Amino acid sequence: MGLNRQHAAEIISHSFIGRGYYRLVLRAPDAARSALPGQFVMLRVSQYLDPFLARPLGIYSIPSKSSIEIVYRVAGRGTSLLTQMEPGSSLAMLGPLGRGFPAVEPGATPVLVAGGSGFPPLHFFASRLRRGGLSTPLFIGARDRAGLPPQPVLASFRKYGAKISMATEDGSAGVKCMVTSILDDYLSKSGHAASSVLYACGPRAMLAVVSRVARDRSIRCFVSMEERMACGVGACMGCSVRSGTGGFKRICTEGPVFEAGELDWSS
Amino acid sequence: MRNKMPEVRDQKSAMGSPDLSVEFAGIKLKNPVLTASGTFGYGEEYAEFVDLNKLGGVIVKGISLKPLSGNPPPRIWETPSGMLNAIGLENPGVDVFLRNKLPFLRQFDTKVIVNIFGYTVEEYAALAERLDDAEGIAGLEVNISCPNVKAGGMVFGTDPATTHELLTAVRSRTKLPIFAKLSPNVTDVTAFARVARDAGCDGLSLINTLLGMAIDVRTGRPRLANCTGGLSGPAIRPVAVRMVWQTAKCVPLPIIGMGGIVTAEDALEFIIAGASAVAVGTANFLNPRATLDVLSGIEEFLALRGVKRLDDLKGTVNTT
Ligand SMILES: Cc1cc2nc3c(=O)[nH]c(=O)nc-3n(C[C@H](O)[C@H](O)[C@H](O)COP(=O)(O)OP(=O)(O)OC[C@H]3O[C@@H](n4cnc5c(N)ncnc54)[C@H](O)[C@@H]3O)c2cc1C
Ligand SMILES: Cc1cc2nc3c(=O)[nH]c(=O)nc-3n(C[C@H](O)[C@H](O)[C@H](O)COP(=O)(O)O)c2cc1C
Repeated sequence: MGLNRQHAAEIISHSFIGRGYYRLVLRAPDAARSALPGQFVMLRVSQYLDPFLARPLGIYSIPSKSSIEIVYRVAGRGTSLLTQMEPGSSLAMLGPLGRGFPAVEPGATPVLVAGGSGFPPLHFFASRLRRGGLSTPLFIGARDRAGLPPQPVLASFRKYGAKISMATEDGSAGVKCMVTSILDDYLSKSGHAASSVLYACGPRAMLAVVSRVARDRSIRCFVSMEERMACGVGACMGCSVRSGTGGFKRICTEGPVFEAGELDWSS
Repeated sequence: MRNKMPEVRDQKSAMGSPDLSVEFAGIKLKNPVLTASGTFGYGEEYAEFVDLNKLGGVIVKGISLKPLSGNPPPRIWETPSGMLNAIGLENPGVDVFLRNKLPFLRQFDTKVIVNIFGYTVEEYAALAERLDDAEGIAGLEVNISCPNVKAGGMVFGTDPATTHELLTAVRSRTKLPIFAKLSPNVTDVTAFARVARDAGCDGLSLINTLLGMAIDVRTGRPRLANCTGGLSGPAIRPVAVRMVWQTAKCVPLPIIGMGGIVTAEDALEFIIAGASAVAVGTANFLNPRATLDVLSGIEEFLALRGVKRLDDLKGTVNTT
């Protein structure tokens, strides 16, 4: 304990990195020290009351002992207001929050799957993998080329040993198919299929297919979920998703990372 | 996390800081700041951010006789200076509350008010009885904004006769002070305040959320899976202040005022309108320490104005 999870976080740097994404580095020593891949923070994008709620954003990396890095896509009014915040100013921050990805067990082969803007938690995860020079497969899917992660993100993933395969629905980059097809292909051909563990983040529809692929092959699969969120600390029950055993689970505290089998994917 | 820091006595308090304690319905609160039901969990969720010993009280998330799993997602939608929610009163039920949630809250020097609801009069009454002799409960807040399944789902708190029947039944089954949490979705809230008084309630809580709706124009679908939801936050504050004022003028029951309180100034509006205490709700989501900010702001305001007791400010709205 003794962790300070609510404070004003000074913006150290903030820049556009392409394809609609911004990179935001915040001074947050306690988060830098304690955050686990898959965890997120809640940021207030205005000191006023409109936009009202804080925005949940995943942690992309820990660039220094006292800072965290966030990569976000301009998705609406809140994130577009956020782009105007200058270095030196501060944002009200809550976090790190939630349950992150479990560590890779000895002998397991991590396989990463990112859809749309779902790559930030996987990037943090990749940065912590210590696989002794072994490459880690990363499957990236998007509707079209413009929906792919920006170049600096791809380069950083490669630096951490990711071997990237891409798929777009319109074929404007990578293979023309759903990312789950190239994932399934890989698992069919790879000698490591049985030891593979999937780590996925992206749109719910994609995660549903990824979890089905994992179930059909009897391999483990961890997914990071998104849902509209108000408090971030498990109090409001606003961010619930259907549990596989009936009832609901709160993304903010019981997730955002779940083992795929914990959830109900039927609806 | 919960270590008791030695009281730092600064100059201001040496000179005699204002008396923030309030007493009503037989409950003595060290200060008037409570947490609104459903926005502060069972205290645990916020104990890392707020020393619960500093709060006047905690009004817990609504409890029912049996566990409830709540509504399908999406359950919330952000609105201008507010939000819509249709959580569906998800809660673990009274047994789990008594076993796992209440003992945590008992560790703190703060008053615990338990918010209760049901879908039949008998459920409410049985719940009140169940909580009657539990240790560490200062009072019950009865959420009457629930659909009455025996009356085709009509909301209890929007019909005076059912409200009376419900509150009388609860009254007869508990010795604890009871607060009727009134619905703002009525034409004349004072009529329901009178019903609550006649049924033997000790106080009133107002307001609950205003019924609202938002639609995605691209798909034509409601933003909430439940279609409609409760509007809360600063967007509803003027409505809440008005209802507290109207009610305080004509019903002699203590009022816990709430609806969109974010700052001390917001809270003071309610006190001046006639509330004895206030509850901070949705603001906890924006700032987990909102209650403490409100509290210190109230104290500062009173000190600055030379007001000795918070009670001296109560109901002092100047309409001349
Ligand atoms: C745990 C978690 C981690 C996330 N990590 C990242 C990240 O690292 N990078 C990134 O670019 N995006 C991330 N998102 C999505 C991000 O929160 C939304 O894109 C953002 O809230 C949109 O805000 P807005 O005001 O621009 O959009 P608007 O559509 O105007 O927002 C309106 C409301 O809906 C909510 N909302 C909108 N889209 C989403 C969404 N996809 N998920 C949850 N709430 C949403 C907003 O928070 C706000 O309350 C994450 C979401 C969650 C739940
Ligand atoms: C997410 C959420 C859950 C709520 N749950 C309850 C509840 O269980 N019982 C109840 O009586 N009121 C509930 N309320 C209403 C609040 O207690 C309060 O009356 C209302 O939100 C107005 O205050 P505010 O604007 O400060 O939030 C809830 C409100 C919100 C936003």
